[in-house]
Amino acid sequence: MLEYFHTDWAAMTLNDWAGMIITVGVFVLMIWAYVHVFHPKNKEKLESMRHIPLDDDDEDSEDTK
Amino acid sequence: MQASLEQKYNFDIVKWFTVASVIYLVVGTLIGVYIAAELAWPALNLDIAEISFGRLRPLHTNAVIFAFGGCALMATSYYSVQRTCGVRVWSDKLAWFTFIGWNLIIVSAVITLPLGLTQGKEYAELEWPIDIAIAVVWLAYGLNFVMTLATRKTSHIYVSNWFFLSMIIMITYLHVVNSLAIPVSLFKSYSVYSGVQDAMIQWWYGHNAVGFYLTAGFLGIMYYFVPKQANRPVFSYRLSVIHFWALTFGYVWLGAHHLQYTALPDWTGSLGAAVSLAMIIPSWGGAVNGMMTLSGAWDKLRTDYVMRFLIVSLAFYAMSTFEGPVMSAKTVNALSHYTDWTVGHVHSGALGWVAMVAAGALYHMIMKLWRTEMYSAKLVNLHFWLATVGAVIYIIAMWVSGIMQGLMWRDYDEFGTLTYTFAESVAAMHPYYAMRAVGGLIYWTGGAVMLYNTIMTIRQATAARSASPAAATA
Repeated sequence: MLEYFHTDWAAMTLNDWAGMIITVGVFVLMIWAYVHVFHPKNKEKLESMRHIPLDDDDEDSEDTK
Repeated sequence: MQASLEQKYNFDIVKWFTVASVIYLVVGTLIGVYIAAELAWPALNLDIAEISFGRLRPLHTNAVIFAFGGCALMATSYYSVQRTCGVRVWSDKLAWFTFIGWNLIIVSAVITLPLGLTQGKEYAELEWPIDIAIAVVWLAYGLNFVMTLATRKTSHIYVSNWFFLSMIIMITYLHVVNSLAIPVSLFKSYSVYSGVQDAMIQWWYGHNAVGFYLTAGFLGIMYYFVPKQANRPVFSYRLSVIHFWALTFGYVWLGAHHLQYTALPDWTGSLGAAVSLAMIIPSWGGAVNGMMTLSGAWDKLRTDYVMRFLIVSLAFYAMSTFEGPVMSAKTVNALSHYTDWTVGHVHSGALGWVAMVAAGALYHMIMKLWRTEMYSAKLVNLHFWLATVGAVIYIIAMWVSGIMQGLMWRDYDEFGTLTYTFAESVAAMHPYYAMRAVGGLIYWTGGAVMLYNTIMTIRQATAARSASPAAATA
């Protein structure tokens, strides 16, 4: 297993570093997005946006009646 | 009320894109039916190069993806961005430029592809001058969309606009990188990539065209039009946010799963397959989010035929986003790759998800834009059943033929010799190719019914509008 995960850091090219930093960065951002979205304190604020399409000035929308 | 809305927003551009989209649905699927028939009965090519399968197939894909899909996306995005932001589209002139430019590109595709002028890159066949025109028109569309968002009167940008925006940004990037080529004449160029790099770039583009154009863009449609048609807010806004970010971050990794068992490094295909399987989670989250918007009002499906299109499209979306990752796994891919199973998978997404969610949104907009009900609700219902039955027949035919092809190609006897010749496998496909053509014809008939219903609805609305001032003055 150690052999499988062995990395020759000295052989890393600029492309390898760029790819690795972007990959890890995106992973961290996804974690942050999950935590932010599912944190209970953000629930009310985020869910209030659900009504935006129904709040436009459409005469058929029940919310505007 | 509606008159003031028409002054506040630019609905004319939406109307033109809407009508163009319905016309292109009929034209694009008609070409598809014809080439499906050519595969079943090759004599139909009449020995005319311009109408042979190889020339018409890219015309079919360009017509349904870029003509029908593009016009549907531009119609729905121009419509919903104005309404959710409470402002008119940033530039009317730029909006008209996108309509005229996009349609001229479609005309140029109709001329050049049957003549055999092609770059030979799947879903990116058009030659370099047209590629440049696509980039210019697409950037104009993107600029207009972004500036409309920037001048909005609302504090929050609704999630449907996020999906449209991710499509606009990613398609710009994908189109420009994939189309980089060295021109050698007005209608001939060579890609700057070669060998395995060319294959990788091609499928990085190809799968993300599916991911961002045919998925993210049409999810933008879903997140606006499902709540609007149901007159209920989306089931969970938080789920839609996670759906967006997971899809945006995840999709860009998948392209390599198109190149399993090729010269590509093995790990890239494994990574593509692993991320593909992970993508089932956000995709199903989004599908459930759309369907559960109807929670507590499922009875609407009994009476609201437009709602049926939108909800059934989500069922197809869920099905294809499960099937795709399964097909990307190496063991399944060894059987499915290069067979008709892939064609069936693509069409379950295209006919079932993309075209049906677009049809639902187009019906919704036609009624709102022309301030009328559809000319015939029964014809909407007929279209729904023709589309559903046609798509199912098509998909089943391709599943059976694809799996049969895969099994025949890999079968060998005790001496290690292949059991079947390639020609034998082609002959075995005939009944399924005929069945596919029938399924496609049924689907096309549904589109023709929609076009007739649309024309009659617009005529009815125009006649009613011109009659009302006359009645008032009489």
